[in-house]
Amino acid sequence: MARAFLREETGYVGLLDTTERTVLYGLMQQTRILLSPEIESTGDTFDDLVASMGVSLSADHQEIETGSFAAEADSSVISDRDPALDRLLPTAHRGDDQVAAEFRRLTEEGLRQRKSGNLDIALDCLSGASGNRVVLDEQQAPAFLMALTDVRLLLGERMGMRTEEDAEALHDAMEDIDDDDPLGYAWAWYDFLTWLQETLTHALMGTDLSLGETAYDDDEDEADDDLDDDLLEDDTEDDADGEGAGGAPRGAV
Amino acid sequence: MTPATLSLAPVEQEVTSTEDVVSPDLPWVTIVWNDPVNLMSYVTWVFETYFAYPRAKAEKLMMDVHVKGKAVVANGPRESMERDAEALQGYGLWATFEKDE
Repeated sequence: MARAFLREETGYVGLLDTTERTVLYGLMQQTRILLSPEIESTGDTFDDLVASMGVSLSADHQEIETGSFAAEADSSVISDRDPALDRLLPTAHRGDDQVAAEFRRLTEEGLRQRKSGNLDIALDCLSGASGNRVVLDEQQAPAFLMALTDVRLLLGERMGMRTEEDAEALHDAMEDIDDDDPLGYAWAWYDFLTWLQETLTHALMGTDLSLGETAYDDDEDEADDDLDDDLLEDDTEDDADGEGAGGAPRGAV
Repeated sequence: MTPATLSLAPVEQEVTSTEDVVSPDLPWVTIVWNDPVNLMSYVTWVFETYFAYPRAKAEKLMMDVHVKGKAVVANGPRESMERDAEALQGYGLWATFEKDE
């Protein structure tokens, strides 16, 4: 049973058992692979240099797939781009595809490197755990936190969670899902990582977790209410949005 | 005290010379959009960490994202807004930039 990340003298310390560490390691690895720099070495040093600047001179990259969405009219997007990448590296300008494409061309490689770097640090922290203790120093903790975000973004995307409504529908569907349904398995890990990220965020911000949150509790509705109470002291605004405090997955924006 | 010779000429000159300069470009904005994955606490932490906003301001912006679906989190010249959007995407937030209309 996992214990929350808490600020200790040695750093930010969380307790994760072997299964928890193994699964999280695997998920972080998958996210790392997806985010690895897209442009592979061509064997030509000049082309590689140009590619590293986010500019492709290759004819292949100038073609725009006619069947693709207008929003994806990005000459640097190759046709088999994983849709999850649009969640991890979203469009930065809504309404002007040209601007969005140009921004992506200039920033994507850098963002991939930064996210991959965070994941590498997190992977090292997990594999370096002594026993169940995962210890993060001041530099590692933010990297681990951002790595958890990208893992959850990927998991959420794979479960089809793109809007608040999707999230609530998934949440409700879990009530009577078959035990052997992979979606239930994915949801359970997503929920666990949500809790884990919440605890590390609180530790970094110096805010207290309520007593019930230091150990993972998979009764999500109960935990959900606790978290909402913690974060939303003024519930009226939230309710005005037509969203019950218990309906949304724990703590999501 | 030495009485100064009063002359309005340089003052007038100063006024006319700055008049045309003060026509600022329309500012651009960085926007963070609501999404079902990012945690309220995490979004607050990102605003505190990246912008060095005080907690109250970070929480107010986070609540705007949560309740209204989006919030303008910064404004300024286009280059700065592009830099902010890129940085916030690095944190995993859905950030965009656009000209403030």
